Amino acid sequence: MVSQSLQSYLLVSAALFSLGVFGLLSRRNLVAIVISLELILNSASINFLAFNKFCMHDKVTGQVFVIFIIALAAAEVCIGLSLILLLYKRKNSINIEEAKELKG
Amino acid sequence: MDLTLLWTIQLSPLAAFLLIQLLPARLKKVAPGIGVLGAFVAAAANIKLFFMHPGGAGFPQEFVYNWLEVLDHRIWPNVAVDNYTLVVGFLMDPLNLLMITLVTVISFFVQLFSVYYMYEDKSRARYFGFLSFFSFSMTGLVLSNNLLQTFLFWELVGLTSYLLIGFWFEKPSASQAAKKAFVVNRLGDLGFYLGIIVLFLLFGTLSFTDLNAGALQETFSAGVLTFIGLAVLMGVMGKSAQFPLHAWLPDAMEGPTPVSALIHSATMVAAGVFLLSRTFSLFSASSTTLLVILVIGTLTALLGATLATVQRDIKRVLAYSTISQLGLMVMGIGAGSTVAGMFHLSTHAFFKSLLFLTSGAFIHHFHTNDIWEIGQKGGKKERLSMIVLCVGLFSLCGIFPFSGFFSKDMILETLKEHNIFFYGAALLVSFLTVYYSFRMLFVIAFSKPAHVETCATQDTHNASSHPGGVSSLARAIPLISLAAISLYVGALGTPLMNHQILHWLGGHAAHVNVELILTTTIVIVAGAALAFFQFKNPEAALVKLESAGGPIKTLLLNKFYIDDLYNFLVEQVSHRIARIFEWFDRNVINGIMVNQSAYSVARLGKVFSKIQNGLLQDYLSLAIAVGVVLIFWIIKIV
Repeated sequence: MVSQSLQSYLLVSAALFSLGVFGLLSRRNLVAIVISLELILNSASINFLAFNKFCMHDKVTGQVFVIFIIALAAAEVCIGLSLILLLYKRKNSINIEEAKELKG
Repeated sequence: MDLTLLWTIQLSPLAAFLLIQLLPARLKKVAPGIGVLGAFVAAAANIKLFFMHPGGAGFPQEFVYNWLEVLDHRIWPNVAVDNYTLVVGFLMDPLNLLMITLVTVISFFVQLFSVYYMYEDKSRARYFGFLSFFSFSMTGLVLSNNLLQTFLFWELVGLTSYLLIGFWFEKPSASQAAKKAFVVNRLGDLGFYLGIIVLFLLFGTLSFTDLNAGALQETFSAGVLTFIGLAVLMGVMGKSAQFPLHAWLPDAMEGPTPVSALIHSATMVAAGVFLLSRTFSLFSASSTTLLVILVIGTLTALLGATLATVQRDIKRVLAYSTISQLGLMVMGIGAGSTVAGMFHLSTHAFFKSLLFLTSGAFIHHFHTNDIWEIGQKGGKKERLSMIVLCVGLFSLCGIFPFSGFFSKDMILETLKEHNIFFYGAALLVSFLTVYYSFRMLFVIAFSKPAHVETCATQDTHNASSHPGGVSSLARAIPLISLAAISLYVGALGTPLMNHQILHWLGGHAAHVNVELILTTTIVIVAGAALAFFQFKNPEAALVKLESAGGPIKTLLLNKFYIDDLYNFLVEQVSHRIARIFEWFDRNVINGIMVNQSAYSVARLGKVFSKIQNGLLQDYLSLAIAVGVVLIFWIIKIV
């Protein structure tokens, strides 16, 4: 039986967030970057739910937020993937290092 | 009624100017008509005004309008007045009315003559517009009741002078001359304006009626009075071409000849002398100023007269003669007699504009300015021109009974009573005047006609370009009228006509001075004889003169090196100073201040643009790093 405390939820959330940031910085594949972004969003969702569960009397607020985040993530992925598709059409690659025309 | 007439005189030339400017292109050919009409209305209103006040009844009269309220302009605590209303308005007194009559009447004749003179010119409309605008400005200058208004119109007059000298601006010499006139006049006007400002700040009023010697001497110390007088004198020197600011006037002859007749001999250049009489109390309050005026007048008169003796260009002879006559007027005023100065101004205005128009008739007919060439091409066959030329020259020389005789003798008499040295100088000027006048006359009259063929072709050319009698009438009427007036005006100062003009100007009747008349007669005969023996055979005289050398001739031909001195001052001195400032501007202001700050921003930008390397993840890491730092910082603060 795993003890159900706020800290353990937050630990999971922090781990997810760190993984997401790590993925963002280290992967060159754009799809992987989008996945990392999803991880970060999910860690935020877990945070919401955890704080909601342990600190709030009204258990609905956090869940509403999470639903919003999921909807937002879906929209963001739509746009992100279509951009990636366009980039692929143009460059024949989804490596982020290929897209650096706008450098100073 | 007076006011209506004054407004008519003031505004009808302006109306003509505006109308000409607004004409559509296909109606431009009626511009001369409008110009002449505007000048005629002004002249007619003026004559009516003149006869409504016989003998100066009901003078002086002032019409004042408030313009600006100046509250507490006091700078020095011991000045009484601290609130003042700037006014504009008309002042009507004998002096103004005499001057305005000169201006409008001569304007009218010159406009009429221009119809003939500018017949072939493409941009006639512009010419007549400017001429009308000049009449407007000059009217404003003369009718004004205070110094500030005078100054405004004074500047407008300078502007029109510039525009008209440079009327044929395609010629480089004309545009150069226009610039020269403008710049030299600005130099004088700077002093004039300074004088006005100081006078206003210390005295509190600029109205002519308030300026009287007693009040001025009460308010000011002698030094300040002299300063103001000399400052205003600067303006007079610029406008009236007095030494050393005379250099612009001979060059101003680049303008069309009727312009020279109106502006650069009769009216505008006389504005300086007019101002001297107008604000005479300002000058008479300080004896130093009067002495300076006298000396400057003498120098100018001598300089102009000597330089006129070597010129071959008919207009330049007349231009130098104008300078010397203006010098004589200034001498008369410097000797304390505004009446003599103004009397000579009036007679001079008529006979000099007559002479200029005559020279215009010669130039237009023979297409040359050289008196020898005019003579050779048959100048003496132009009956009318020769007769009026004689009238003008005799007036200029002061031969009885032509008008110059009376006015010049009056100046001579004043000078004789004042100081024998200046009297001698004036006699010398008279002698030289007679010499160069007769030189011009003899050269034109005694030259044997040569180049008959070219003359004939030009005659036919002229005949074809002057159809109809309008333009020959436009030539004859002004010449004959001005000749008649030249004869008549002088007589106004004689016992015969009851000294009308002298009483009018507030002077006393001149008595017949036998000794003076004898002296001037001797001077005239001597001058004429010298000219006769030298120029009875103009061709031989020309050869002899060309071959002759000598320091005096070189000095005269180089105009006493005054123009060269100005060139030296401008090119060496002021250009050098300008170059220092240019270096400062280029290297310090532009180089260090402007460019260096721009360059350093650019360099900084170069450094930071390295960050933007196009790699998304580098941006992200930077953003995260900054975010982390910020969060820790915020936590620490909280």
